[in-house]
Amino acid sequence: MTNDQILSEIREANLTYLMLAQNLIRQDKAEALFRLGLSEESATMIGALSPAQIFKIASGNMLLCRFRMDDEIVWNLLTNHTAAKVDNDATTRLHASILMAGRFAEAL
Amino acid sequence: MATKSVLNDSKQVARAVALINLGARLQVLESETDLSYERLLRLYKEVAGRSPSKGQLPFSTEWFLTWQPNIHASLFQNTYEYLTKVSALEDIDAIMKAYKLYSEQIAACGVEPLLSITRAWRLVKFIDNNMLSMTKCSKCGGHFVSEAYENSRHFECGLCSPPARAGKGAGAGGILLH
Repeated sequence: MTNDQILSEIREANLTYLMLAQNLIRQDKAEALFRLGLSEESATMIGALSPAQIFKIASGNMLLCRFRMDDEIVWNLLTNHTAAKVDNDATTRLHASILMAGRFAEAL
Repeated sequence: MATKSVLNDSKQVARAVALINLGARLQVLESETDLSYERLLRLYKEVAGRSPSKGQLPFSTEWFLTWQPNIHASLFQNTYEYLTKVSALEDIDAIMKAYKLYSEQIAACGVEPLLSITRAWRLVKFIDNNMLSMTKCSKCGGHFVSEAYENSRHFECGLCSPPARAGKGAGAGGILLH
């Protein structure tokens, strides 16, 4: 990957993210807050962006969306790497969903 | 006599229709809208195409504490609490949205939804009235539906420490351990 490629891929990902986020927020804000894991203030701002603004924000060398599970427990459940008492894929994913649905601290 | 607002009335009808479409029992509609019993009954028949189920709501708090339902209930309740914490929604709207998100997530995991909207609504009421509570699992840190005064120091959830028979009786669409 050349540097130009990296930049254009980041821009692409940012565009996709912002457009999806904006659609979700405009459709149903409360639901979008859950799906995106954003605070209400950020959601209001994203919802109000014009296409030109989205385009401008999307270009840069940084990704705008951040990884949502930065702890080991959820990560292990999602990837099913550690052999625990439960090793059914669907059940560990369900477990991870419960843990993730309980994390609203970042969205306040 | 209170003056009737047409706008409010249409809002109430829309909410009732949404609840009926989710499969809610008549008792839920009676409690969550200002519409009269007769109007709700007519609405129910029109929307669902059949008469509503009769009788009391049979659910006790026990159901939510059995292994499989507890996992479903915990997923729903976590979603519900997330929604109410991050945005100012009326309780019933939050319940409906959380139920939709719960159903989506359950379907994504390939499991049959065990929780009905009526049960989800009951669960929220039980927790509001301190008949059940949410307790943090000492192993995974997730919050799970539990007895009202569960000791959180030793509490382990049904997924970290499944009971001996867990997942054995479950057929297709149930939660399995292996």
